Formats: sequence, C-alpha cells, structure tokens
Amino acid sequence: MEILAVLLLISVFVLTRTTRLSTAVHILLAQSAVVAAACAVAGWQAGEVHMFAAALLTVVIKAGLIPYALLRLVRLLKREREVNPVVGPNGSSLAAVAAMVLAYGLIERALPAVVSRDAVATAVALVLIGLFLIITRRQAIMQIVGLITVENGLYLLGLSTTRGLPLIIELGIFFDVLVMVTVMVILTFRLKRSFQTTDTSILKRLKG
Amino acid sequence: MYELIVLALGLPVVTAFASLATRQRGLLKVMNVASSLATCGLVFAIAAGVLRDGPFAWRWLYVDALSVLLLVVVGVLTFTATLFSVSYMETEANEGHVRPGLLGGYYALLQLFAFTMLAVLVVENLGLMWVGVEATTLASTLLVAFYFNRSALEAAWKYVMVCNVGILFALLGTILLYYAQLSAGGGGAALSRAALEALSGRLDPFLVKLAFVFILIGYGTKAGLAPMHTWLPDAHSQAPSPVSGLLSGALLSCALYVLIRNLGIVTAVLGSGFVQAALLLFGVLSVAVAVPFMLVQHDIKRLLAYSSVEHVGIVSFGLGIGTPLALYGAAFHILNHAVAKSALFYLAGIISQRYRTKHVMRIRGMLAAMPAVGAMFLVAVLAIVGTPPLNVFFSKFAIVAAAFAAGRPVLGAVLLLLLAGVFAGMMYYTTRMVFGAAPGGLSPTPPGACALAAVALSLAWVVGTGLYMPPVLDELLTRAAAQMFAATGGL
Repeated sequence: MEILAVLLLISVFVLTRTTRLSTAVHILLAQSAVVAAACAVAGWQAGEVHMFAAALLTVVIKAGLIPYALLRLVRLLKREREVNPVVGPNGSSLAAVAAMVLAYGLIERALPAVVSRDAVATAVALVLIGLFLIITRRQAIMQIVGLITVENGLYLLGLSTTRGLPLIIELGIFFDVLVMVTVMVILTFRLKRSFQTTDTSILKRLKG
Repeated sequence: MYELIVLALGLPVVTAFASLATRQRGLLKVMNVASSLATCGLVFAIAAGVLRDGPFAWRWLYVDALSVLLLVVVGVLTFTATLFSVSYMETEANEGHVRPGLLGGYYALLQLFAFTMLAVLVVENLGLMWVGVEATTLASTLLVAFYFNRSALEAAWKYVMVCNVGILFALLGTILLYYAQLSAGGGGAALSRAALEALSGRLDPFLVKLAFVFILIGYGTKAGLAPMHTWLPDAHSQAPSPVSGLLSGALLSCALYVLIRNLGIVTAVLGSGFVQAALLLFGVLSVAVAVPFMLVQHDIKRLLAYSSVEHVGIVSFGLGIGTPLALYGAAFHILNHAVAKSALFYLAGIISQRYRTKHVMRIRGMLAAMPAVGAMFLVAVLAIVGTPPLNVFFSKFAIVAAAFAAGRPVLGAVLLLLLAGVFAGMMYYTTRMVFGAAPGGLSPTPPGACALAAVALSLAWVVGTGLYMPPVLDELLTRAAAQMFAATGGL
C-alpha cells in the first residue's frame, strides 16, 4: 500500500511537469491503474469481494475507456500538443510539494485516528493538485485530466478511510464519471470546431 | 405507491429512447407532451398518496411531504417546459437556429434531465442522492450547449467545470460523513439517512462539521448560492428558453432539497446554530450579489438568471431563520418561484424570437406588438418582484415577517432594502420593455398556441394561489415545513 501511495505521489508530481497533452493522458492512465491496484490490495486485505469489482471497473473505465477517448481527442487536435500553463512547470512542481506537505499536515490535525495515514495524505494531495491543475491549465484536456485526478483522489480517500462506498453507490459514481468525460469530450471537440483551439482562456465573452 | 414511483421514473427514460428513435416531428411532439403530462399526473398521485398515508419508505426509496413538494415542482415544470418546447423549438428550427434533425435529441435530453431530477427526489440514501445530482449536471450540459454556438459552448464549459468541481466537494463531504458513520459503529446501512439519524448521538462532531462545510459548498454551487453562482447567469442565458425555465425553477430547487436533506444529519449532531448562521450568511450574500448585477443588466435572460440567484438566497434566508413561519414561507417560495420564474423564461423565449434580440434596451412596446404576451410578461414580473395579491408576495412576506418575529430585525431590514433594489431594477426595465411604441422589423410569426398555453397555465397558478390557498396545498406546505424544521430548525 505504501509503495502504491508513493507511486501515486510521483505520478501527480510528474503531471505538474508535463508539457505535452498525450504524455499527460498517459500519466493519468498510469495513475488510474495504480488506484485500481490499491483498490484490489485493500480488497484482498479486507477480504471483500465488492472491492475487486470496483477495481475492475476502475481499470475498464478510468484506465481504459477514458484515456482511450482522450488520446483520440489529442490526435484530432493537430498542432495543439503543447500545454501552455498559467504557472510554469517549476512553479507547478513547487505547488505540488506544498500540497503534499499541506496534506500530511491536514491529516495530522484533522483525522489523527485514521489507520492508513499515508494513503489518506496521498488522497488529499491528489485532490489538491488536481484542483491546482484545473485552475492553472488552459487546455480543455488538461482540465479534464485535473478533474479525473481530483476524482481519483476522492476515490482513494474513500478507499483508505471507509474501504469504499457500497457497490451500488460506486456503480453510480463510475457511471457518472464515464458520462462526464463523454460530455466533456463532445464539448472539447465542439470548442475546437468553433474556436479553432481548445484553450479555455478565450472563453470570456459572457460577462456581467 | 411503489408502482407509481417506478412508473414516474421509468416513463421519462422510455420516452427519451423513443424520442431518439422517432423520425416524425408530429409524433415526437405528441409523444413528449403526452408523456410529460402523464409523469405530472403520476407525481400528483404520489402526492395524494403521501398526504393520505404519510411518508413512504421502501429500501432505497423514500418519499415524504418535502420530497412531494419538490416532485410537484419538477413534474409541473417538466410538463410546461415540454409543452412550451413544442412551439418554441418548432420556431427555432424553422428560423434555422436549430437543425430539425436534432429535435429528437433535444426531447430525449429533456426527458433524461427530468428523470435525473425525479430520481434525486425519491431516494433515501445520501450517496445515491449525490449520484443523482451529478447526473442532473450531465443531462443538462448538452442542453445548455444545445445551440452549439460560441457563447453556448462557453456557457456549457463553465457550467460543467464549475458544477463538477463543486459537486466533487459534496462527494468529499459525503465520504467524510460515511467515515463518521463507520467510526461510530454504524456499518450496516451506509449513508442511509434513517441510519445516520439514529446514530446522530454518537457521530464525531468534528468530522460532521468538516463534512458539512464541504457539503454546503458542493450543493450550494449547484443551487446557485453566491459566491458559487458564477456558472448560473451564463448557463441560464445561453440555454434554450424551456431549458432555462427548468434549470432555474426545478434544478436549483432540487439542489436546495438535497442540501436540506444533508443538513438534517448535521443539525442532529451539531445543533442548529452553526447551520442556521451559514444559511443566513449565504442567503443574504446571494441577494446582495444579485442586486447590482440586476440593476445594470442588458440581457433579458441574464436579468432573470440573477433574479434566480436572488430567490435562492431568499429561500436560504428563510431556512436560516428556521421558525415554522419562515419554513412555511420557504416551502411556499420554492414552489412559487419555480412556477413564476419558468413562466418568465418561457416569455423571454417568445420575446427574443419576436424581437430577434435579448437586449433589454432594444425591446420596446411589447403591449403594442403582442398584447397577450406583453400583459402576461407584466403579470409575471409583478409576481416575481413580490406584488400583492400574487403568490410570491405571500411567501416573501412570510419569510421577512418571520425574520422580524424571530428577533432578527436587522437582517430582516437588510433583506427588505435589497428587495426594494430588485423591485426598482426589474420594474425600470419592464416598463421600458412593455410600454411605448413597438419598433419596426419584428418577426411576423406569432407565438404558437402551445407556448401561450404553457405560460397561461403557469400564470393561472401564480394568480390563483395568490388569491386563494387550497386546503390541500396548505396541508402539503405545512408538512413540508415540518420536515424542514427537523432538518434546519433544531430538534
């Protein structure tokens, strides 16, 4: 479990340094795969069957369908492989480190009774860095990557504090995430067609 | 009862798939209007059942007076929105704003949107409620983007990003609540409201408070409470008018409903003080933020959108006051605002089709150009700003009076002052739009009969319940207020 937590921290750290859309999606794929592995390990330790189902769904949806759709989208967006962040790679990495420290500090103060402290702190770090990516990355796909990172973080948080939500709620969440990405891919595709770019910083006509 | 609920959930889904498969436009319209009328009827049957036999609970399903109030809102608004769509979308298609081939998809999304809102209202479990609220965003995003022009895409992108991030905060809060439940030894029925309420004496107050903050931010975003309301004016103004009506009247109310349900657990653990203070703060802030934007607004649909922020603020204020009178007012206000505001958005749709603009300053002489629509617009605006004897006046009055009666005269006075500002702004623009001579170059197409019927039906309700309160409605509101009292006013 600790190894998986470290892998996840590395994945988001690298995510803050990537400047290519396709690399970012690949890292997201790896990150989701690690989350699935964590789910399977936790399920094995607790002897709960429903967690294996959740792990399988994570692999299929978050490490399969979603990266596949995003990669196809990246291929469609010719001449738009470069990420153009508001905060550069060095600043972003610094922010990621700050988020990790903050996460450990928060856990220490807020949830001292939690057993798997490393996993919970990693989860909080994932959420914080995901939010940071949404705010500081202009490209639509990078914002989707940030959103999934937040979602992965929340999933890990649920996993490490409560062994995951009941299966019916998990199923609902997976379904929602799948539809969410579908809707956002459609929107990104349309953005590209209407604006010739998916840089969301141009979306500022509606005001007041 | 069980059969009624399943039917009310199933009908919109079946209609959605049928709409996608239908090629004939005539059939499409008849089918959708009939289906939403039937859904509306089923909702009223559920309401009658709950008023007769009390709350209904079976496994994941739970319906009581509060859910019924919101079910009625969603049912009625879905019907009027579908009815209105028949004329409105026909005109949009004829004028080339919408490809006729997309109409099936439009109705399908509309029905799915209705399904997700109904689903939110009939589940007992806080986790499933979250799944439902997230689904409402997803079903409505493509409706917001439906025109697929630049502004609509921008509005939809902001809508989906802001609401998704917000709603993920709510998920974080929900997970924390589940953690609190497990820590207190309640593993059996995860996130069931009944189980959590039974456990409330043993839940860790700190964890619940932490969860409450995230839940309030999350669902508050979806409900359009300031300062998380930023998606709302964009989405409401860019969506097709029937969808704006549903977003404003039904969706915001559903988000408030989920918030209230979550607050029930929080109040049981923390007491009502903290919860009420937060609701009052967000309520006053929402009204205060809306007023200046309404005073300088030039887009008629954005004006109405900010008015929605204001009204969500008023409901939140009523919840925060927390006395039985205030809660009765809040329950009544949810209903009144939903019907009046959706009618206004429909009217805005008719107006913008006729004048070919949404710019307030270019719309003049409405009474001269189309007397019926102009008169209805005047009545609807008078209703929404709270003029007696229309029903919105009574719910607003109840909330403000309750504030004074509850010993919060300063807050009550501040709210009154802000409402006066809203009144001034709305009436200024309305008199400019309604009276005077009509400009030339208007579209000659008269509004369709279905559109006029949908608006007339809504306004009949607004005027009717202002003049006379039917005992059934009074009973429903009293019971819904009692449910809210348990959730926000303390125990």
